[in-house]
Amino acid sequence: MLDNTVKNELKRIVGEANCSFSREDLICYSYDATNSPHLPDAVVFPSCAGEISLIMKMANAESFPVVPRGAGSGFSGGSLPVRGGVVISTERMKKIIEIDPDNMTAVVEPGVVLWEFQQEVERQGLFYPPDPSSLRFCTIGGNIAECAGGPRAVKYGVTRDYVLGLEVVLPTGEIITTGVRTAKGVVGYDLTRLMVGSEGTLGIVTKATLRLLPLPESTITMLAVFPKLKDAAAAVSAIMRARVIPSTLELMDSTSIRCVEEFAQVGLPMDAQAVLLIEVDGSRAVVDAEAAVVNEVCLANGAVTVRTATGKDEVKDLWKARRAISASLYRIKPNKINEDIVVPRASIPELIEGLQAISSKHGLLIASFGHAGDGNIHVNIMYDKKDTVEAASADKAVVEVFELCLALNGTISGEHGVGIAKARFLELELKPEVIDLMAAIKKAIDPNGVLNPGKIFTDKKSMARADMPGPSDTQ
Amino acid sequence: MRQQDLIQAEINKCVRCGTCRSVCPVFKAVGRETACARGKITLIGANLKGELPLTEAYVKHVKECTLCGACRANCPNGVDTTRVYAAAREDIAAKQGLPFTASFILKHVLDSGRIMPLAMKWANRLQSIIFKDSSAGQGLLSRFTMPNVGSGRLVPPLAERFFLDLPEVKALDDSAKKTQGAAKVAFYAGCGVNYLMPEVGVASIGVLKRVGVDVVVPSAQVCCGIPAYSMGDMDSARAMALKNLEAFESTDAAFITTSCATCGYALKKLFRELLGDDPKLAARVEAFSKKVRDITELLVDELGFKGDGKNTVNARVTYHDPCHLGRGQGVREAPRVLIAGARGAQLKEMKNPCACCGLGGGLSIANYELSMEIARKKAENIKNSGASIVATACPGCMVHLRDGLHRFGVDVKVAHVVELL
Repeated sequence: MLDNTVKNELKRIVGEANCSFSREDLICYSYDATNSPHLPDAVVFPSCAGEISLIMKMANAESFPVVPRGAGSGFSGGSLPVRGGVVISTERMKKIIEIDPDNMTAVVEPGVVLWEFQQEVERQGLFYPPDPSSLRFCTIGGNIAECAGGPRAVKYGVTRDYVLGLEVVLPTGEIITTGVRTAKGVVGYDLTRLMVGSEGTLGIVTKATLRLLPLPESTITMLAVFPKLKDAAAAVSAIMRARVIPSTLELMDSTSIRCVEEFAQVGLPMDAQAVLLIEVDGSRAVVDAEAAVVNEVCLANGAVTVRTATGKDEVKDLWKARRAISASLYRIKPNKINEDIVVPRASIPELIEGLQAISSKHGLLIASFGHAGDGNIHVNIMYDKKDTVEAASADKAVVEVFELCLALNGTISGEHGVGIAKARFLELELKPEVIDLMAAIKKAIDPNGVLNPGKIFTDKKSMARADMPGPSDTQ
Repeated sequence: MRQQDLIQAEINKCVRCGTCRSVCPVFKAVGRETACARGKITLIGANLKGELPLTEAYVKHVKECTLCGACRANCPNGVDTTRVYAAAREDIAAKQGLPFTASFILKHVLDSGRIMPLAMKWANRLQSIIFKDSSAGQGLLSRFTMPNVGSGRLVPPLAERFFLDLPEVKALDDSAKKTQGAAKVAFYAGCGVNYLMPEVGVASIGVLKRVGVDVVVPSAQVCCGIPAYSMGDMDSARAMALKNLEAFESTDAAFITTSCATCGYALKKLFRELLGDDPKLAARVEAFSKKVRDITELLVDELGFKGDGKNTVNARVTYHDPCHLGRGQGVREAPRVLIAGARGAQLKEMKNPCACCGLGGGLSIANYELSMEIARKKAENIKNSGASIVATACPGCMVHLRDGLHRFGVDVKVAHVVELL
């Protein structure tokens, strides 16, 4: 709870209109895409780093939590105020400050919606690749906090590969700048990379300098249909071995296909065990040649058809379908555990086999789809929370999925982050001394633990307070 | 709340992914979570569970919506958002009542096609005292600031003679008359055409006659019920739906058509929602709704009309998709075919032609500033299209587009597609 002095001070800092304590507003800033709400005590809409700095200083003096929030589209609970306090929404900080075509950089505020930024740079013949499924509404600040990835990661990498420098408000209120505006830079520790993916626990990004690429001249989108899931998985590595790195190499299994087809009706084959959505980009000549290779490799690896999308609408439809999978899975079961594990690309066939074994062992429907090209598979264990037996099996299955993924030299989260969703599994992947080091860094930067508390680390206190839902339980 | 379980089930389907943030015109103007579907749905859910009382802020957020349906069309989880909003509006109206003027207009004016001729004649005389003609000739400007009108608001003039009172229209009421072999089409005018834009109705009937169909205009028709529905007055909306159903059943027409996207949506879809629960009416509504076609849809898809060059347009024309036609009825091609077929017209698409104009859902009454904020974006896109005419297929959109274009200084004429033919 915030006392009146704090409330009045918040009003003074951001202005009365940009600050709310009303129940209606608190309810609307209590959730993200994990769908497990926690009410904050206040929501503020600051306009600059200076205002955020004042709030952070007050948070340390008055001991209240502060939670940064972009569009609230995260899958790990990064923006949830699990211990109440003040939600700092970046919705007003949405200026694209500059786009510099000569140096191929851009400077943006954190509340800029990714899609709007991409549209703007593409108009100028430039390209900003990170493309999480939420790209039409997520914010760049949130992308940086969670180190968002997306289908294009296979060729272009993830958000961290495009952040050159940051302006950050530290948990103690200092405003610092990190990084450079150049392609190279090794002066001191790489604080930019420390901040990217820190899930809003080490600082609040108030400005970002981003690296841009030239916009590829053309793109070809293909859809390869496989009667066998294993063949599709094997084709992924085969394409790379044929010396083509597609800009996208996405896998959908039969469950995903059926669900999403029901929503989007784009003519996906309902009887196929798997489809690969493949894109190659670059200059016209290169793209044509690479598409031919992809076509050949897919057919050689058991694809029955490879269709090339013709026209913008067909491409748009296929992508709409791909992006809608996650949400449309709820059409089968009311609840799902959604894990974004990653394994080395060549281990995908083993992963798929293992997942099928876990699925039949527990009698649970597991939908798998995602960025096969970089080994990042979204594993969705479908269940009904009200069915306690099923819920318990789902819980067990998750641990087995993680163990499988780690045994294959993978990681338990490729792009969603730990947040509250994976906090209790941290020890599965990280050694105690590594966790201690991370906690020491957190302590050094946020000695009073005011910024986004209850995330990543599973100290007993935060567990008790956070009212943990199931593992990544997204409903 | 009526049908509480059904509404609760819809609310539960929302997984809070946030997709609605990318399509909601109100959210884009307001910029806060409370404005998008995810926020509204959560608030309505909290109210339903008794966690949030019917506060002033709650009502404001629920009504901050044009009912354009973009969230519904784009929801990956298939949440029937507009149905949830309608239920919440009904609940608010039931508990708080309707404002007096709204309830008066719904019950006494819109509930009959030829309302209070004397009062309306007076209204006609009064309007020249209160309003002046705007330079653009597309509407009236208030001579002084009035509550509910807002300064600088372009108000559509009441027609000198309402569409349903025109002698040539009255002559078409004889539903028994039948031309040999011609398809019989019953024309539904709607309030926009009847009170504000009879010329759109006249043009519609003109083109139908040129195509050679036999047109009837049942005089017993009343308002489609959408204004009542938006305000949560479902009883009035149902009563209106029933009157229309009876008025048109007696015509034995092959098709029922309208030049208003919103009315068409009501006739096609909403009547089922309003009357479908009643087992005695379900089959009748079904038969009625199946016959309904938007005028553009009827002309192109059913009658094979693609323009006969009677009218010469000679202009670049851009097309605004009314929410209730594009998303609501899935009719996007037919109006474009007609524009492309008009002599001298060059179709020039604007950016986001299907984005809401800002009028709907009673937003232009509940929050005029906000509805104009939405119209600002529309006006910008229309301007950037380089067209000199923006055509659309809904008198409601026409009113709001004229107001918006006038306010933001964009010199583009607004016309109904049928006026170009």
